[in-house]
Amino acid sequence: MSSLLFGQNGEVEDIHPCDDPLLKIAQLEGIKSIPIKDMYRFKKLMKSCEEQGGGKQIEQIIYRDWERDFRRAKLMDSWTSTFSICVFLVAIYYFAGLVLATT
Amino acid sequence: MKSQIQVLIFCSAIWIGELTPAQPNLSLDLGLGFYQPTLTGFDENESVPFPAGGILNRNLLLNWGIYYEFFSNARVGYTSFTSIEFGKLGLINSAESVFRRTIRYRLFPLETFFRWRPKIELNFTLSPIWGRGRITVDTSPGDKAEDWNFLLNSFGSSDPMDEMGTTDAMLVDWLGYAGMIGFRFYFSSRIGLDAKMGFMNNYYNNENWRIQTVKVTGPAMTITKIPIFSIKVIYGLK
Repeated sequence: MSSLLFGQNGEVEDIHPCDDPLLKIAQLEGIKSIPIKDMYRFKKLMKSCEEQGGGKQIEQIIYRDWERDFRRAKLMDSWTSTFSICVFLVAIYYFAGLVLATT
Repeated sequence: MKSQIQVLIFCSAIWIGELTPAQPNLSLDLGLGFYQPTLTGFDENESVPFPAGGILNRNLLLNWGIYYEFFSNARVGYTSFTSIEFGKLGLINSAESVFRRTIRYRLFPLETFFRWRPKIELNFTLSPIWGRGRITVDTSPGDKAEDWNFLLNSFGSSDPMDEMGTTDAMLVDWLGYAGMIGFRFYFSSRIGLDAKMGFMNNYYNNENWRIQTVKVTGPAMTITKIPIFSIKVIYGLK
């Protein structure tokens, strides 16, 4: 009767936590793609998915996130390596000067 | 056919993974810095007894910053190191005036990085500095100029102030540069702990202080070529 009056579907569809779109986003685009406001819900989803037998799926999400980060930042691109070497040399020059000046 | 579909799904997953951002593109950090300046103008002042120097008001810096990854393996941002001191001073007309001093090192860093291990990052930072020193003193309403002149004379000025307005603070700006090498450990893909060591070179001149529109002599401070260490917690926003 109420569904007729308010024009809403009274049946609530029960989605398995492992099939939640938030976990799909994390799987495909990484955990950092999840907005901060959804992080609490994401953590809860991960926990309930793990409890309902989706342990491997969660492990995979976390593993792929680390792998993606590592793969992207393992090697320096373009001018960044030259810049890093310059900073390193400047720092070494400064600290060597400091040590020599105090001895 | 089935294996071809699996290969297609696997390759698509890798391709999608390549397009998506990896490191936190926008991150906030909060932490502490440590350095050892020589604040002769305060510690060896013979006329005004400034609050005693200690680790909290001499060596500790409060640090916050925001970084944006604008290029693969490179970030730009803003980070601020602030040294704070407050206490009570005995000036001519005020029995006990509240004194506040801040030295703020505002850095605009360019940082490059790479991941040495999946959870460990090494980073290299070079940054210009826009520093600012600020001293405020609560003085008696009728005797502001006299109280301020007493303080300024202790730094080397000779009665520069005739009258004072309601907002009374002495300020100085200077430029400099800093270089740092850092180590970052990621606890998760968003949260990490970053430790840096490096140096700061500030072109501070105690003749450049100003109070309202009058140029005055400020406290002598040695903040050129000083080593600096920092430790902070990073949170990746996106």
